[in-house]
Amino acid sequence: MKRLSLILSTAAVTALAMILHSCSVQPCYEDTDPAMNTLLLVSGTGETAKADSLRVYTYRETDTLKFISLRGASTFSVPLDPANDESVFLITLNGVTDTAAIRYNRRPHLVSPECGYTIVSEITGLKTTHNIIDTLIIENKSVNLDGQTNLHLFY
Amino acid sequence: MAKRTCIFFISLFMVAETVAFSQDTVTVPLHVRAGFDLSGPVMKLVSNDLISYGILGSADINSSIAATAGIRYSSFKSSEVLYDFRSRGLSFTAGVDYNFIKANVSQGKYYAGIGLRYGLSFYSEEAPMLRYTNVWGAGETSVPLEQHTGHFLEITPGVRTQLLPGVTVGWNLYMRLLISAGAGKDLKPVWMPGYGPGTSGMSTAAEYYISISIPYRKVKVYIKPKVRDSEEEETEGENTGTGNTTGTSGFSNRL
Repeated sequence: MKRLSLILSTAAVTALAMILHSCSVQPCYEDTDPAMNTLLLVSGTGETAKADSLRVYTYRETDTLKFISLRGASTFSVPLDPANDESVFLITLNGVTDTAAIRYNRRPHLVSPECGYTIVSEITGLKTTHNIIDTLIIENKSVNLDGQTNLHLFY
Repeated sequence: MAKRTCIFFISLFMVAETVAFSQDTVTVPLHVRAGFDLSGPVMKLVSNDLISYGILGSADINSSIAATAGIRYSSFKSSEVLYDFRSRGLSFTAGVDYNFIKANVSQGKYYAGIGLRYGLSFYSEEAPMLRYTNVWGAGETSVPLEQHTGHFLEITPGVRTQLLPGVTVGWNLYMRLLISAGAGKDLKPVWMPGYGPGTSGMSTAAEYYISISIPYRKVKVYIKPKVRDSEEEETEGENTGTGNTTGTSGFSNRL
């Protein structure tokens, strides 16, 4: 009986500890912003390109959103608009600007109970001008938190 | 003459003791039990966010193994800064419990063992409001009510003892392993009824239950005699003086 009492009390303490742990508020440590990752490539050879200068931005009714302004970049990551099914980006590569319109489906994704939900997307299509961009192709249509390359930009 | 009488009586005592402890079977009652989880209603007094009512039943197959099953209704709501979430549903578990306590000690009254169960959860989930923020700005959307079926495994170490004749109380700790939440990778439930946080592959919980225990059959259980080496026997003989040990039977007074 002593053994049983010991087991019983150990179980009670363990259970109480677990309940108290589950009641405590946990902070969010995870990445909650899905980004569309683009790799810059040299048209013709397919080798990784390094842009002397790169700017990515968009015009809105009230303001201009600047996403990227880099030198010597070979990749860039931009978030898609979670409120719309299309995002338009102005991409200035080595001083020459092109416009790329990305279409996608959106769906909520639970990151964790602590961090809540985010919006992930599935790219359905794209259009681009060809001032400097030769080709813009979809490599992986899922824009989520995995960090995989979504687009290949040849110029 | 006196010497002969003494030897005779000593021999008689030895024979008597051997007869008394040579029994190597014990009759154990097998029970069916039905009860409910006390921790659910108690936790409801603390918080209304999680409501969980469970009933469980078990039937002894033999002195060590019992078939067990349970039904649980759970309702969960969470209102955070970033989202509101609700889920509710019924979960069913079925499996076996193994009692580590030997039959001659437990006598159908005590249990300290481990169980393995398969669980099935039929639940609905929704997120009536969720907020997101990124460089484009902030917004709100929602996840409509959806029905899902989840699967999980439970490993349940626990103890049980007889409180009154026919009434048992016990603890079970639950270590649950998620097989599938059934909601896809994007809408894993914040809380899956019967399992816990659906974003985690493993969850833990505890249950304090009271149950009615009814004996339905008696079985004879063979108790393996304890093998002792002669050295140990001699030592114990010296300690106890009267030689009040188990001998061949294995029924020790310490038990």
